[in-house]
Amino acid sequence: MKMEDATRFTERCINGEPASCSCACPFHLDMRSFLSKTAKGRWNAAYKELRNAVMFPVIVAALCDAPCRGRCQRTIIGDEAIDLPEIESAVIKYANNRKPESYFIPPKTKSVAVIGAGVSGLSCALNLSHKKYSVTVFEKENGWGGRLHAETGRLGTEGGNFSTETDSSGRHASFKDFDDDIALQFSVIDNVEFKYNTEIKSLDELNDFDAVYIATGAGGESFGLIDSWDSELLTTSSPKVFMGGMLCGVSLMEAISHGIELSRTMEVFLQTGKAFTAHSFDRINCGRYLDHSDAVSSPIIKASLDDGYTEEEAKQEAGRCLQCDCEKCIDACEMLKLFNKKPKRIASDVFTDAGSSTLASRTLTRETYSCNICGYCKSICPEDVDIGALLQFSRVSRLNSGKYPAALHDFWLREMDFATTEGFFASAPKGKEKAAYAFFPGCRLGASNPDHVLKAYEYLHNKYDAGIILDCCGVPAYWAGDDDRLNENLEKVRDSWKSMGGPVLIFACASCEHVFRMFLPEVKFVSLYELLSDEEGIVSLKIYPEAAVFDPCAARYDDGMQSGVRKIAVRSGIEIEELKEKNRCCGFGGHMQVANPSLYNEIIQNRIGASEKPYIVYCTNCREVFVSKNKQCVHILDIAFGLNLEQKVPSLQKKRNNSLEVKKILMKEYHNTDFNPETYEWEELKLIISEEIQESMEKKLISEADLKEAIFLAESFGDKFIDESGRMNLCSLVKPVVTYWVQYKTVSPEVYEIFSVYYHRMRFHKDR
Amino acid sequence: MKELVLKKTVFSYQGHSFSHDVYTCPQCGKVLIPKELAEGRIAKVEEQLEDK
Ligand code: SF4
Ligand code: SF4
Ligand SMILES: [Zn+2]
Repeated sequence: MKMEDATRFTERCINGEPASCSCACPFHLDMRSFLSKTAKGRWNAAYKELRNAVMFPVIVAALCDAPCRGRCQRTIIGDEAIDLPEIESAVIKYANNRKPESYFIPPKTKSVAVIGAGVSGLSCALNLSHKKYSVTVFEKENGWGGRLHAETGRLGTEGGNFSTETDSSGRHASFKDFDDDIALQFSVIDNVEFKYNTEIKSLDELNDFDAVYIATGAGGESFGLIDSWDSELLTTSSPKVFMGGMLCGVSLMEAISHGIELSRTMEVFLQTGKAFTAHSFDRINCGRYLDHSDAVSSPIIKASLDDGYTEEEAKQEAGRCLQCDCEKCIDACEMLKLFNKKPKRIASDVFTDAGSSTLASRTLTRETYSCNICGYCKSICPEDVDIGALLQFSRVSRLNSGKYPAALHDFWLREMDFATTEGFFASAPKGKEKAAYAFFPGCRLGASNPDHVLKAYEYLHNKYDAGIILDCCGVPAYWAGDDDRLNENLEKVRDSWKSMGGPVLIFACASCEHVFRMFLPEVKFVSLYELLSDEEGIVSLKIYPEAAVFDPCAARYDDGMQSGVRKIAVRSGIEIEELKEKNRCCGFGGHMQVANPSLYNEIIQNRIGASEKPYIVYCTNCREVFVSKNKQCVHILDIAFGLNLEQKVPSLQKKRNNSLEVKKILMKEYHNTDFNPETYEWEELKLIISEEIQESMEKKLISEADLKEAIFLAESFGDKFIDESGRMNLCSLVKPVVTYWVQYKTVSPEVYEIFSVYYHRMRFHKDR
Repeated sequence: MKELVLKKTVFSYQGHSFSHDVYTCPQCGKVLIPKELAEGRIAKVEEQLEDK
């Protein structure tokens, strides 16, 4: 696997990208980080973050006109923008360690000339000197600061008088403060030489330098290069000469940022001989706002002191930051929240995970197999990122490399085997070879309630002359990541469809439909509920006065199915409530129950809690999941056909029997053939199972048939353990993936009382 | 019928093997895994091995 195979799933994810305000900031200050440090009162850390981004914090706090405020997402909920300048001043005031750091890097041999000791030249010189280039700054005046001498307030006034005034806002805006700030930042620097009262007349004077930055300020000298200036790279037609700052018509803040950007471009140039920017900043995203519909309004904090905020006020104002970063999927999905990883991190884990050669060095198993593969994340993601698809990809790649925990999906794969063999039946309508329509109820519908299939087929056979295909769509293989098995099944399904003349399939199960949509696009289909919704003639039962429709995740993109169900319900007189979150997975999706039982339960509880009202569902799995947790819930077919509410979920064994029963009735009724299901010697055994044990078997996905087989073999071959009383027996049954254990007593010949049932996945090796 | 004896037994799962003392039939070597062991220690180790 290549890295991109995994990362392509999340490449569009915007999590971790700069917020809109940071995009607008001339220095791209990481606002989220700066403000969260400030909100915690971590003054020194906040100061350091500010200083590293802007170079001269005092100057910037005083003079920046804060374009970030125009891009603050607080404003979209009607609040005032976060007051960054006021916060910055407070951070400077309350940080008690403002000493610049010096870096232990070996000195570089290359040297740089900077023309102009204004803010742009200074920020460039400072940055390069941190990287240990030797820098010479040439300035025609007798001191640094350039334009700052003219700036006495944030608005900036024209004129060349050196002023020591403080601006009306009370913020430090005197040249004295700026001078101190510059001196402080250069205080640990020993590789910058300032040559004052030195006017460069020709660039030839600087031939000895490896690079030159022209930062001569507004209206300053450009040595004839201004027309060749590249505003992106800040280069000129002369290869080693760069230009920027107010000379090029930008604001004072941008002039500082030019100096910073340029120091990076120059370093690349000095190392490689080519000028390009190592990192590019996405200014377009200034307008990318997130959804803040849940955000609580909070008013701006005004400063109570003459010189700005108190500590508490600054913390509070910084605390108003919404920390705008997309985490929509993580907030919405229980699984993503549980594992608490950013989407891009999951993608890189999928890659590392696939690359490691042994299962033992893998890190992602639980997460990979805990996903419902429900696509909800994609449906709410502003960038359509589908983490389910990523984890599905992870499942496939694990299976292909022979490293997948078989026990996590074994049960459903066995069910699929059953449904596609013993449970399988396909037939054109009575007395015919071909059909224009065929009902594909899916393997769960009849297993859960035979009437659902029988009633629906009776209707479809009479009205549409429909054939029937009892089969499994293969979703268990899909969710197990077993592509071979899935494809093999798809072939088989396609064959039975073809031999019936390629009918339009009528689906009752959204998951089946989803699988066909993905893998058998040549098959035309319609949902049973759409057909029924147009049917005025059939009785429909008003089971509840009011109910909420719970749409299954797999029906997300099938409007026809969704509206058909609503029509049926409304026609019966039920008043319908719409859930706030649509097409969430009930918990069943992805067959993650074994991999993560506690998460599974949490998800079900959350879905049940989405509305107090009873649910109308149209997915058998949703119904069983909810009913098993005592949520009032009815299948739309119960309403459509006025069926009795069979509230209990049949046992695993009963479901298999139901499937066979459905097949038997259909064969007799429409084909006039007898169906003789395969019989096993142990079928005749009678088991006495308490309700409690039955429940635990359902949870552990152990079916009665496995118990009977175990006991039958144990009794036939005496292959069992007996306790001291001589009455309690214990035997085991080793299946390909799981080993089952049964503790039982013989009540009478062929009748056994069960005392406990359990299993393990591990194998033990008999050695003598 | 024989009394069971504690015996070192090799277990394997997900490509890992290790041994543990369990009750075994001295005659035929059949191993007894009690419920507490299966749902306790064994389940925990299984999960750890899957998670690794
Ligand atoms: S919803 Fe999730 S995947 Fe999509 S952009 Fe946001 S964080 Fe990234
Ligand atoms: S597919 Fe569903 S369960 Fe999986 S990450 Fe997306 S929302 Fe969560
Ligand atoms: Zn023995």
